[in-house]
Amino acid sequence: MAIGVLLKQVPDTTAKIGVSEGRVDETAVSKWSMSPYDEYALESALRLKEAGGEDVVAITCGPTRAAKMLTDAAAVGVDSLLHVLVDDLSALDSTQVQSILAAALGRADCDVVFCGKQAADTNAGSTGPGVALLLGASCVSHVSEVSPDGGGYLALRASTGGDERVQVSAPCIFAFDKGDEELRRPNVRGIMMAKKKAIETISPSDLGVSLDNSRVTVVSHTPPPEKPPGQKFEGAESVATVVGKLRDEANVI
Amino acid sequence: MDVTVIADSTADGLNPVTAQLVGAASSIGGTTTVLCPGGVGSSQASAISGVAKVISVEGDCFGTFEGGAWANALNSLATGELILAAASPRGRDIAASLAAIRKIPVIQDVTGLEAGMVVTRPIYSGKAIETSNVSTPCVITLRANAFDDAPEGGSADVGTVNQSADVGLAVKEALAKASERLDVTEADIIISGGRGMGDPSNFSHLNEVADIIGAAVGASRAAVDTWDEIPHSMQVGQTGKTVTPSLYIAVGISGAIQHLAGMKTSKYIVAINKDPDAPIFGVADYGIVATWEDALPVLKSELAKL
Amino acid sequence: MAYEALDFYDIDALLTEEERMVRDMVRDWVDKEVIPNIEEACREGVFPDKWRVDLGEMGILGAPLKGYGCPGLSYIAYGLICQELERGDSGVRSFASVQGSLAMYPIWDFGSEEQKNHYLPGMATGELIGCFGLTEPDYGSNPGDMITRAEDKGDHYLLNGAKMWITNGTTADLAVVWAKLDGVIRGFIVEKDDPGFSAPEMTGKHSLKASVTSELVFQDCQIPKDRILPGVKGLKGPFSCLNNARYGISWGAVGAAQSCFDSAKEYALSRIQFGHPIASFQLIQNKLSWMLREITKAQLLAYHLGNKKDDGTWIPEQISLAKMNNVDIALEIARMSRDIHGANGILDEYPVMRHMANLESVKTYEGTHDIHNLILGRHITGIQSFTREP
Ligand SMILES: Cc1cc2nc3c(=O)[nH]c(=O)nc-3n(C[C@H](O)[C@H](O)[C@H](O)COP(=O)(O)OP(=O)(O)OC[C@H]3O[C@@H](n4cnc5c(N)ncnc54)[C@H](O)[C@@H]3O)c2cc1C
Ligand SMILES: Cc1cc2nc3c(=O)[nH]c(=O)nc-3n(C[C@H](O)[C@H](O)[C@H](O)COP(=O)(O)OP(=O)(O)OC[C@H]3O[C@@H](n4cnc5c(N)ncnc54)[C@H](O)[C@@H]3O)c2cc1C
Repeated sequence: MAIGVLLKQVPDTTAKIGVSEGRVDETAVSKWSMSPYDEYALESALRLKEAGGEDVVAITCGPTRAAKMLTDAAAVGVDSLLHVLVDDLSALDSTQVQSILAAALGRADCDVVFCGKQAADTNAGSTGPGVALLLGASCVSHVSEVSPDGGGYLALRASTGGDERVQVSAPCIFAFDKGDEELRRPNVRGIMMAKKKAIETISPSDLGVSLDNSRVTVVSHTPPPEKPPGQKFEGAESVATVVGKLRDEANVI
Repeated sequence: MDVTVIADSTADGLNPVTAQLVGAASSIGGTTTVLCPGGVGSSQASAISGVAKVISVEGDCFGTFEGGAWANALNSLATGELILAAASPRGRDIAASLAAIRKIPVIQDVTGLEAGMVVTRPIYSGKAIETSNVSTPCVITLRANAFDDAPEGGSADVGTVNQSADVGLAVKEALAKASERLDVTEADIIISGGRGMGDPSNFSHLNEVADIIGAAVGASRAAVDTWDEIPHSMQVGQTGKTVTPSLYIAVGISGAIQHLAGMKTSKYIVAINKDPDAPIFGVADYGIVATWEDALPVLKSELAKL
Repeated sequence: MAYEALDFYDIDALLTEEERMVRDMVRDWVDKEVIPNIEEACREGVFPDKWRVDLGEMGILGAPLKGYGCPGLSYIAYGLICQELERGDSGVRSFASVQGSLAMYPIWDFGSEEQKNHYLPGMATGELIGCFGLTEPDYGSNPGDMITRAEDKGDHYLLNGAKMWITNGTTADLAVVWAKLDGVIRGFIVEKDDPGFSAPEMTGKHSLKASVTSELVFQDCQIPKDRILPGVKGLKGPFSCLNNARYGISWGAVGAAQSCFDSAKEYALSRIQFGHPIASFQLIQNKLSWMLREITKAQLLAYHLGNKKDDGTWIPEQISLAKMNNVDIALEIARMSRDIHGANGILDEYPVMRHMANLESVKTYEGTHDIHNLILGRHITGIQSFTREP
């Protein structure tokens, strides 16, 4: 058995996103990083290992460039690396990605899985719960902390009324929100070892997952609509108008 | 088209987004059945106009939230070609689980929906918009306030069904909402006060607003430098924190260039200032020329209504 | 926010993955630990102990040395480390230069097997701090005339004399001290508790305020016989250490210059005068483009020199040129950046005045700017002009 961590490489959250010919121009992305919530998941997985847990396997599904992120994960202590090579993730729908990840977790023999609550590119948040269902595992979402508890685990999760500590046992998936512990910094020794660590690179068909036609087709990407020019209102009476606009026009509250 | 709407609720009843889910379903000509997990809000749901039927889904499994368990309990009733849920934390979880059970695609956090299933959604935290075609059956979650509410005035039948599902987790301890304030760098909404607040004790008004909308409280450097009670950790600006929330509300802040350096990339900026010529209005999407003494009480009551 | 450095000629693409990972690790550390705390450290005149611990944990001390617990990185990686540290502050880079190139290196190259095993592993982890005592109150640019001397007393050596301007001196656990034994310069390892040894801190610096600078005083200081470095005699010893440190400085200066450039660019774009951002005025653009040009050249110098260090084809004069040029342009960029910031430029809110003051020291230590001119002059003409004596 092993602890699985699902990692996704995304444009760094500080990177500019440009659109050209109706698609986000990935070649113009200046920096690719591990998705931020995945970092918290990874840190928690490493801590679980240190608390007497199993080895940690990092799994990603993505194009060739994502291998670098796996090496970064190895530099902070991940034991083995599995890369399911898919050139264009955006051509797959949620069921396809989840089937690949579930099969990869099966291959790596993981019964406890860590992932981010959503990836910083698609911002969807379907992976954790979806993969859990395919594996017959429980999914605890919006988790900020996980610790071993007898044969199972205690997880701190956000709920509608506040935080709650929940108990769960394997097989289970923890979908991470921002945790208290930032991903550790690597050190030179870790970097040297990471360089030597082999990445097992396989295709979806190696996992026995056949990718029929995706049921979602991206039609276009567009830049976000220009904001209307600033509007100015006189007097406290206008607060109600502004709140209405924040809700309906800006959609931020 | 048959549409199943999964009601979004807390222990206190339906969240307003539920009426928006129904509104979106009606706008594409759907016949809507609303499922109320745990039976919460079923009478409220039946009063939403455009609802054909409400099913109050009851069972022990709804005592603890687990997306997968709830989805299993709802699955046999979620027969619509389109299943709609809210893009709330719970809604997304249930939606993803339902889709996995039914082996159909899920698209989360949608802000535009057209018949023939053309959906638009922000990606890369809003830095781009994606439009895609999705074939039915599918599950879609909608962002709150992106769709109009269906009006009240319905009187749909309410049926009750008992369902069961295995819940794999147990709540051991419920912790009160952390009273500790969010750090400005983490918050999606920030309300900041400047020297115009007059006295550090007046920041309590900002705290009250922040509590209502889950915001962090920030400050200008003048406020931090003048008042010991306002710690440097709250300072926004060139020598403070750089923030990019969705909404930044500046109260009694003039908008000096060093302050703007820390917040001008916020998605939306609201300024409350008594001086109509304050430079902060130059970057504000919505400027309110008023004293905070007049404006904040109205803001509080308006936000509380949401 | 992840820092994106000026890299106009895409030197990044020339780095190995390992070099980039090391660079990013240090970059991230500088952003999180140094930049937010540097002003306070300068005000208090301390090098925070946490930085020592962190540098040791990252495992970058003595970067290019191999074995004995040392990292064994390439010279390019060592250069990148210096660049990132000095983007934070020259004092942090000084700490690492002294520890790695001036204290660990001589033990690694000239020490006995016992000395290497005894000192290097602890120095690589930052548990043991070293310093380097060459300069004396009366002998700076010409250390060959130093007066500190050692006498062989049969079962121990006796040291007498004083060193000055010694980075890390007061906080160091051991000092590599260069002293004359029977008229020949030799290296000795002096430990902080050795009788007759003291290291009072020098105060009142307007530069490198977050770096500890000290005197080393030897009054009948007794050290055991096994503390002499057996492997080297004469000025070659200290000079070979300096070569490595100077190489690191040529990269470090680029880091300081990048920081000043970034600040100038951002300020010029946001500062409005005469109704327009000052960045829209040609005189300001001229300054920014000059900075870009000089930084790019300095990066290429440092990178190429790094390759030569790695394949062993370098000569010391090439290091002199890179140290001298890169510090020179960094200092000029700091001054220009200060100018662009107007009055704000003198405040500790911006990094530029600090870099500017730091770089004045960097210009002087590790061979002054003009001493490097003289080294190059001798190389070109074959005629030394350090001294009037033949
Ligand atoms: C190097 C440097 C770095 C700096 N870094 C920062 C930084 O990081 N962050 C920062 O904020 N500043 C920074 N500053 C300071 C900056 O220049 C301004 O001085 C500061 O932002 C002003 O703060 P303020 O807007 O609260 O105060 P003021 O400029 O005094 O503005 C107060 C505002 O309150 C309004 N007001 C007064 N009474 C009321 C009322 N009853 N109701 C509504 N409005 C009212 C007034 O009309 C006025 O516009 C920096 C300055 C320098 C030189
Ligand atoms: C912050 C700081 C930290 C330091 N850390 C260390 C350390 O850790 N260990 C250590 O051993 N030393 C250290 N030094 C000392 C440094 O190496 C010396 O300051 C440097 O070698 C110059 O010596 P000096 O200051 O005595 O200047 P001098 O040699 O007196 O030079 C004064 C001026 O005369 C010029 N000059 C000298 N000779 C000639 C010539 N022949 N022709 C033309 N011009 C000439 C120089 O270029 C300079 O402009 C440090 C210095 C500083 C400022």
